[in-house]
Amino acid sequence: MKRNVLVVGIVVIVLALLSLAGWANWQNRKQQAVRLQIEQSKAVLVADNASPNGLRMNSPLVGKPAPAFTLTNLKGEKVSLASYKGKAVQLNFWATWCAPCKIETPWLIELEKQYAPQGFEILAVSFDDLDKEDKILLAKEKTDIAKSAEKLGISYPVLLDGDSISKPYGDVDVFPTSFFLDKNGTVVATSAGLTSKDDLESNIRKALGETQSAASKPGEGK
Amino acid sequence: MFTKRLAIACAAFTLTLGNVAVQSATAQTASSAINTHPLRAKPLPVTYLFPEQVTVVAGKPTPIDLHFKVADGLHVNSHNPHTEDLVPTTLKLPENSDVRLTNAVFPPGADFAFPADPKEKLSVYTGEFTIHAELIATKGDHLVEATLRYQACDNQICLPPHSIPVTIDVIAK
Repeated sequence: MKRNVLVVGIVVIVLALLSLAGWANWQNRKQQAVRLQIEQSKAVLVADNASPNGLRMNSPLVGKPAPAFTLTNLKGEKVSLASYKGKAVQLNFWATWCAPCKIETPWLIELEKQYAPQGFEILAVSFDDLDKEDKILLAKEKTDIAKSAEKLGISYPVLLDGDSISKPYGDVDVFPTSFFLDKNGTVVATSAGLTSKDDLESNIRKALGETQSAASKPGEGK
Repeated sequence: MFTKRLAIACAAFTLTLGNVAVQSATAQTASSAINTHPLRAKPLPVTYLFPEQVTVVAGKPTPIDLHFKVADGLHVNSHNPHTEDLVPTTLKLPENSDVRLTNAVFPPGADFAFPADPKEKLSVYTGEFTIHAELIATKGDHLVEATLRYQACDNQICLPPHSIPVTIDVIAK
């Protein structure tokens, strides 16, 4: 009798341990899936207490040459990134439906004017959908983007069909997103989401090859 | 003797499990260091809650309430955003279907302003919202896949416009 109770007890314990093993295994697999997903995503948003929005974009493109592209501007002209070699460039990925993009646009316009004499330019890359199959709709969509850019007072080039270059830039899927390139075309900084004018300026100065300590001097270059 | 062997086997088994549990905990710590931003988190920014099935009178417009939920920390534009550029939340039923959407009353949006631009008010949905729809269906059972289109943002970031299926089993008697 005593032995039977002992055996039943052991069986119950083993079953409980098996369930625990199953749970632990399932947890492990779940974590592996998450890790795989993160590894596959080329750019990730990570927590950053130093950033005003608490986020920072980790992009493996930093320190590497910016992927080459040729897009069409609002006038229908081809624009290549290669033609901007020798300039510090901010690639600003935006869309007309993106409210935070509209908030940062006036800052960008000011910063572009301020740093243009030092060889800085902004290229606004629109991620608005373009219906390439339907010519009438496509024309309307282009007009809408042009109207929106005009309303915002954008003075720098607006390039269309950003979606076509999203992949090499890490599958950009949050807006606004910016890549800051130095005069050699190397990505020196990235930002995702609405940050602040100071943050943008700091990245611009990095792209211009100015030191970070100079960029953080209060009241300078504003 | 048997009990002793059983005890040894159980002890070995427990040690193996302990190892698995430790590995699992390590994996969890490593991945929690990476912030999963709500905009990239699953489930989607907007989810359809209910109803999954409705019974209507065949050939007569019948009101039904469709319930949705916007994920915490996010908002979507209301059906009537304050500016033309913004993408409104809309509901569509497939064309040439045995079930038609004869009317849809969307709730009014709540005012929302980005902290960086408090003066510019947007009209948005947060949390749960309900669309008062009116359907008309021919007699029979129909599995309808409506589409809710929305555009989601949080305080700093926006996602591209997206559509989710709204699947309803419509029984028209």
